[in-house]
Parts: sequence; C-alpha cells; structure tokens
Amino acid sequence: MNSARENRSPDAIESLRTEELMINMGPQHPSTHGVLRLVIRTDGELVSEAWPHIGYLHRSFEKIGESVNYNQVVPYTDRLDYLASMNNALAYCLAVERLAAIEVPLRAAYLRVIMAELNRIASHLVAFGTYALDLGAFTPFLYGFREREDILAIFEQASGARLLYHYPRIGGVARDIGPDTVQAIRRFITVMRAAWPEYNALLSNNAIFIKRTANVGIVPRAQAIAHGLTGPCLRGSGISYDVRKAHPYSHYEDFTFAIPVGEGKMGTLGDCWDRYWVRMVEILESLKIIEQALDGLPQGPFLAKLPRTVKVPAGEVYVPCENPRGELGFYLVAQGKPQAMRLKVRAPSFCNLSITNALARGVLVADVVAIIGSIDIVLGEVDR
Amino acid sequence: MHSVIEEIQRFSPGALFWPLHSEWAWLVYALAFACCAALALAWMAVMAMAWTYGERKIAGFIQGRIGPNRVGPWGLLQPIADGIKLLAKEDVIPRISSRVLYVLAPALVFIGALLPFAALPFSERLVPVDMELALLYILAFEAIEVIGILMAGWAPGSKWSLYGGMRLAAQMLSYEIPMGLCVLVIVLLCGSLDFTEIVAWQSTTAWGLEHPWILGWAIFRSPAALLAFFIFYIGGLAATKRAPFDLPEAESELVAGYHTEYSGMRFAFFFMAEYASMYVICALCAILFLGGWHGPLPVPSVPDGATITGRWLEFTGSLDAADKAPLLRLAAASFELFQDPQSMRIMLREAIGAVNMLGKSFALYFIMIWVRWTLPRIRIDQVMYLCLKVLLPFALGCVVWTMIQVALFP
Amino acid sequence: MAATETAGWLGANLSFWAITILVLVSAAFTVYARSIIQAAYSLFFTLLGMAGFYVLLGSGFLAIAQVIIYIGGILVLIMFGVLLTDRPIAAQTSSLKWTYAAASLGTGLLLVNVFIRIILSADWQPASALGEPREAIAELGHVLLGSQLLSLELAGLTLLLCLIGAAYLVRRREQ
Repeated sequence: MNSARENRSPDAIESLRTEELMINMGPQHPSTHGVLRLVIRTDGELVSEAWPHIGYLHRSFEKIGESVNYNQVVPYTDRLDYLASMNNALAYCLAVERLAAIEVPLRAAYLRVIMAELNRIASHLVAFGTYALDLGAFTPFLYGFREREDILAIFEQASGARLLYHYPRIGGVARDIGPDTVQAIRRFITVMRAAWPEYNALLSNNAIFIKRTANVGIVPRAQAIAHGLTGPCLRGSGISYDVRKAHPYSHYEDFTFAIPVGEGKMGTLGDCWDRYWVRMVEILESLKIIEQALDGLPQGPFLAKLPRTVKVPAGEVYVPCENPRGELGFYLVAQGKPQAMRLKVRAPSFCNLSITNALARGVLVADVVAIIGSIDIVLGEVDR
Repeated sequence: MHSVIEEIQRFSPGALFWPLHSEWAWLVYALAFACCAALALAWMAVMAMAWTYGERKIAGFIQGRIGPNRVGPWGLLQPIADGIKLLAKEDVIPRISSRVLYVLAPALVFIGALLPFAALPFSERLVPVDMELALLYILAFEAIEVIGILMAGWAPGSKWSLYGGMRLAAQMLSYEIPMGLCVLVIVLLCGSLDFTEIVAWQSTTAWGLEHPWILGWAIFRSPAALLAFFIFYIGGLAATKRAPFDLPEAESELVAGYHTEYSGMRFAFFFMAEYASMYVICALCAILFLGGWHGPLPVPSVPDGATITGRWLEFTGSLDAADKAPLLRLAAASFELFQDPQSMRIMLREAIGAVNMLGKSFALYFIMIWVRWTLPRIRIDQVMYLCLKVLLPFALGCVVWTMIQVALFP
Repeated sequence: MAATETAGWLGANLSFWAITILVLVSAAFTVYARSIIQAAYSLFFTLLGMAGFYVLLGSGFLAIAQVIIYIGGILVLIMFGVLLTDRPIAAQTSSLKWTYAAASLGTGLLLVNVFIRIILSADWQPASALGEPREAIAELGHVLLGSQLLSLELAGLTLLLCLIGAAYLVRRREQ
C-alpha cells in the first residue's frame, strides 16, 4: 500500500490500482475453438497479454507418419483439420504423387476439386456459425448447419462418412460418384446460393456484429506476412495470395474464380470483419468452381493403377495447398522404403494462431473472443 | 382503484365480517395480505415458468427446430421437469465464500423481481395492492436487485463472478437513468403516478375523437412518448440483462458470469427473477405507453364505484352472529351474483381489460425473445456508450419536448 | 401511527418492533463487522429498515425515495468502491484502543443527551390529530418548486459540481 505522504496528493488516485487478473480461458471453454488454453493477463477490463498454450490435442501425427505406410497415413491426415478432411488428404496425396511421379486421372482430379470445394464451404459454414455463437448470436449457427447437413449428406453418399472421409487416395479418389450425387450437389448449389443473402441479412450487415468486429483485431500487411498468415487471415489484410492461383494443383487452373480480398469495407483493412467477409465470399467462389467442375466432369477412371503398397523413390518435396484455413503444406522426405522418413505438416492454424498476442494487446476480453473467432483455428492441426 | 384490502375495509360496515370490529381485525388483514402475497408470488412463478417454455419453443421455431416436445403434449410440462431437475440438484456452497451472502444473494435478486408484481395490475380492479405510487415503487426495486447481484458476484469469492457482477451492476444502474426519464415523460403528460389514472388518461379525448380507441395511447399522443417508448423498451432489455445486453450472462465468454458458482435451486432463483423482471418491464410498457387495459378489444363501461365485492355484499345483506344459516346465505348470494347483469358487466369489463393488458404484455415479451435469438451481443463499453451517449440525450430531449408540449398545450 | 389505522394495535406494534430490531442489529453489524464488505451489506439492511419506518409513518414516497437514493445510489457506490479496491483493505480488523473507545463513548453520550432533550421538549400530538394519512405528492412538488426552490437549486448545483469533479478526476492524463 502507499505511504501516507503519497496519499495526500490528488495523484494518489492513480496509484489505486484495479487488480491485475490472470484469466485462464480453456482448455475447456465454449469460446476457444477446441482445446486451446489462453492465458490472459488483464488490467481491469483491458488485456495486456494473451498467450495461447497448445498441445492438448497432440496425437503424434508426424511420428506416426514415419512408422506406417504411405497409404496408411491418409486416414490420419483426415484428423488434422477435422473440418476440412478432404483438403488435408488431398494435400498429402499430392505430395506423395509428386514424389512418386504418379499420374492422377482427370476425372479423379475433378472429383477431388469438387469435394475439396464442398468441404471448404462446409468449413466456412462452421466458422460462420461458431463465430456468431461466440459473439452471442445463436441463430446463425443453426442456419449454417442446416446447409452443412446437405453437404454432409453428399459426402456420405460419396464416401460413406460424414466428417472424416478417407476419400482422396494416393492416385485418385476412393469411389466414383453417381448421377444422384451429382444431382444432390447441383441442388445444394441452388440452395446455398439462395441462403447466402439470408446469412448476410442476419449477421454480416447486422449493426451490432459490425460494431463487435469492425476495427477490431486489425492486422497490417507487413505484420500478416511477418507472422506467416495464410488463407482468409492473409487475404483479409488485402494481400491477394491464394495457393490455388499461385501454385495450381489438381487442375485448378482449368477453373475461373476470383480471390476475395479484404477491402476495409465496414471498418479498417485487415479487421475481423474483413476476414469474416473473405470467408463468406469464398463460399460463393467455391460454388462457382463446383459448378464448373460438374459441368466439365470427364468420364474415366477415378483411381490410377497402383501397386498395393505405394513405392516412393528417395527424395523430398514440399506441396502447399489452399485449405479453408490457409496454406496446408506437407513436407515429405522419402527414403525408398514403404514408410516416409519425415512427414512435416505446415499447419495453417498453427501459424495463424501466432498473431494472437500481438492482436490482443490493449483490447477488452470480449474482443479477444472476437479475434480468436476471426482467425478461425482448429486445434486438430495446431497440435497435430 | 380498488384492491382486495381496500374493498374489505370499505364494506366492513356491512357487518358481514364481524371480526373486523373486534380485536381480531389484524388476523383478517394478515390473512388478506397473505392472500395477496400468494397471488403475486403465484403469478410471478407462473410467468417465469411459462415463459421459460415459451422462450425455448420460440427459439426453436426461429432456429428452424421444434423446441421441447417430449414432456407432455407439445412439451408443455417441460418447465415442471426443469423445476424438478433443479430442485433435485446437489446444493453446493463453495468453501471460499461468505455463506451468509452466498445464500442471501439469490434471495435478494428474487425479491427484487417479485415485489413489483404486487403492484402490477391485470385490469382496472384486478390488482393485488393498489398504490398511488405504483410506478415509483416498481422502479425502486431495480435498486434491490442490483445489490443482490453485487452480492452474488462477490460471495462465491471467484474472480469470474466478481467480473460479471460488477459489469452487470454498472449496466443495470446506467440504464435506469434513461428509463426513469422516459417514465417522467408519461408522468408529465398525464400528471399522475397512479396506474389507473395513467390508463384512464389514455382513453380520454385525443386527436379530436371522444373515444379514441387505439389513438388514445400514449405513443400516439406525443412523438416524445413514442421515442420514450422505444428508449424505455431498450433500457428494459438492458436492465433485465437480456440479449443483446446479456454480456454478464455471456456463457460463451466468461463461463456463466456472475452466477457461475450457483447451481440447483439457487440458480433457478436467478433464472426466474430474470424472466419475472422481463414481464414487469413489458407490463410497464403496456400500461405506460400502450394504453394498458384500454386495448384493441373494446371494454364495456360500468358506473363508477361499482365493484364485485360491493354487489356481493349487497346480496348477502347483513349477517349477524345470531344468523341461523350464514353459509347458506353466502352461497345464495354468490349464486345470485352470476345472474346479476351489472356484476356480469363488471366481470366482463375486468376480463376484457385483463385480456388486453396481457395480450400487449405478451406481445412485447415475444419481441424480447425474438430480439434475443436474432442479435449478437454488445460489448460492455459499447453498452455504456449506447446508454450514456445515445439513450440519455434522447431521453432528455423527450423530457424537454414533453415539458414544452405540456406548457403550450395543457 | 398510520399503521394502526390499517392493521390494528397488534399489527402496528409487531411491524414496528420487527423493523427496529432489524435496523439496530444490522447497524451493530455494520459497525462491528469483520470486513468492510460485510459492513457494506449490513448497511443495506439498515437502510431497508429505515424505508420500512417511513412506510409505517404513512409516507410511501419517502420510503421509495430512500430505497432509490440511499440503496440504489449511495450504497451501490460504496459497494463499487469497496469491491474495486485492493484486497488488503477488506482484511482489516477493528482494533480497540481506549482513546477511541473513550472518544466514541463521549460522543455517544453527547448525542443521546441532545436526542433526549429534543424528544422531551417537542410538542407531541396523537397521530389522529394529523388527519388521515395520504400521499402528498402534489403538495410536495409544489413546495419543492415553490417555497423551497432555492434549496432545490442549490442541491442541483452541488450535484453538478460533484459530477464535474468526478469527471475531472477520472479523465485520462497525458503522461
């Protein structure tokens, strides 16, 4: 406590501190998307530091990648970012195929694109719903999941599973899709196009939502690049970098689509609203890609002819792919054996999460929730 | 206005209740008070329970799902199941708390939500306790709720609860100011704090019509009153900690805020208090701004001073201690009451008034629920900004406008 | 008392003594409480009891004003101050020094003397001489804005000064 002399001056009021609290959000917490532990140091209501503590979902994926065969790794990749299962498996399969010089049939490539884009939409719908839930709007979550149910039904028809599909395989895809699945996808495209303005009316243009997200968590261009942000986090800051355009894979160069970029429409460039808006517009762009892929879907085999155990010659390769959350990269070091020597995952959420402390300085605790929600992490790939 | 107690008092010379003249008068009054208290408590409990069900059903429909439909037809018995569940939970009192305050806090919040029900009327003559200062009385109980919530935040001894309690107290107190100013608008226009007079004023001449029907409502009598209605409603949303102002309750942010450490029936107290105060706000809005029981349904008129009790006592005549069959007389009087046209008119008037009043309150309640399930949550500093920099100046403007209006057009 | 009219002799006395006990016990708690927070919460009951006294005396308006201003304003302010400041304050215990005890005893005796003199020298009339109790809101308003206008304006001015002072104290300083 202060000495008597200090108490006599009017500035003694300033030395009356409100208590500095260390708040622990998580690992079980409704607002951290998964088992993330955020240790927040606050001064009254303002945050002075917010450090994410991760590792609660570590399952030794990379070590397992060294002990099982190349084919056997594919189901494990599903469980990295469990909301974008198709995209993960696609990235890994591409890495193996590039090293082993495996030619993927065109039909398989197009099917992979369709499934990857559908999964992108599903993942963005979850991001949309849970972001709204974090901010206290309960209804958009259910609206988003209503559309997501259609996607999961399509996935179930195609692969037999609703969340973890094991669908992209090395050399192609697991199963072909029939005309009723194609019809279901086309129906979904119409439904989603009709529902999209509804989401905007409900959330994106809602004044309260804008007040909570605009001008909050602003990421300047330089900082975005310095922290290695990718995906909507990077594009929300105005940088137009998408792996599908920069390093096209799986015949993405055959399709016409735009890269939505944040413009600071509702607030400042690079704020939470921009990142959220990039995801929303990406849903529309993905619908375009799916339509084009369906229209141009060629006949042919859906899986290349491969031996039971894939033989990958010694070498190393890094293959980046555009996941819903950013750039997922697989760095594969092969040694001629049926197992890889090293399988390193460059997880987008892991790198995106690194910006949390920088963004959380000097904001209110409620804003920390908005910031984490806008970064859109999935702990499965943060921890692997 | 005639409350139950006043009616007993007024007609005691009818000598029907001979105890009133003896030293047992206090017992009769105590029983009457107890009945009124039970009535208020019962109505509050019914409102709280029914609207927990209503909220879940309405939320379900808004979100494209069905809501409770397992317990009873259309899930109507769900509140009972919830009540049983909450009662059966283990009563946990954390060790690092002040036991007295921990136990007292839900009681204070509940009391602060319950007592306004004693003054809330259903209709002109259906009110537990008639008060001249009913309006002021209801506004006073916000204060007791605030203290209860500060206690609830502090008592468990955890920083989560303290955070939530203080934020909530700040929010409730700030919003009392614009709400009080909006009430002042109506008091200025009408000239009384009494509910009967306010509602009666809203049925007098307006817009050149003698029986203005809906146009006599306060919101149509002055643009300031219209704005005051919205400000009062929004302030009411904030004062009852409803979304979009439910930051202290924010489950997704600070676990359950100030009532984290409460479980079982104690938590139920907070819950019921919230739903009950929502009803109080809606009923107040209906009475002050939307014409109370002079609603869309037309109300038959009766001569002044006629009451059901009066008619009943007239039928019973005078009973004295030597009467051979007093109960038979009472029963006959009750039977006659239902055949008398004037008493039927009175009952009809009260019933239709109550339907009007409840209809409006429930419509406003529905809108409160609608708003909750549509809008996201506002941050605490934005809540304060809204109150102090938006609502307060507009409320002051309304008061000034009303003062000028009353001065120029008395 | 007004209560006698409504509830009879027994009811009035019962309520009076119940409220008296509440006020005295909670006031004693306020003074002798172990922590300042408990003192603040006992003060709540004291103020509530005072509101009860006003009701018994027939003035509902004063009772409600007591609740709104004292409990809803002053007590909440005290509680915010107590809850927001550092913990060490809450842990203080009252230390009894004989100088303090002597001073408080002397002051108490002085006050008791003054009160007794006031009570004995007042011209007490039975309650019935005042006429029927009723809410004199209109008269109160006329008095406040009529004969007591200067006091009202001075009170308002004082409040304004307090607000300005508070705003000045919490302004952000450019370091």
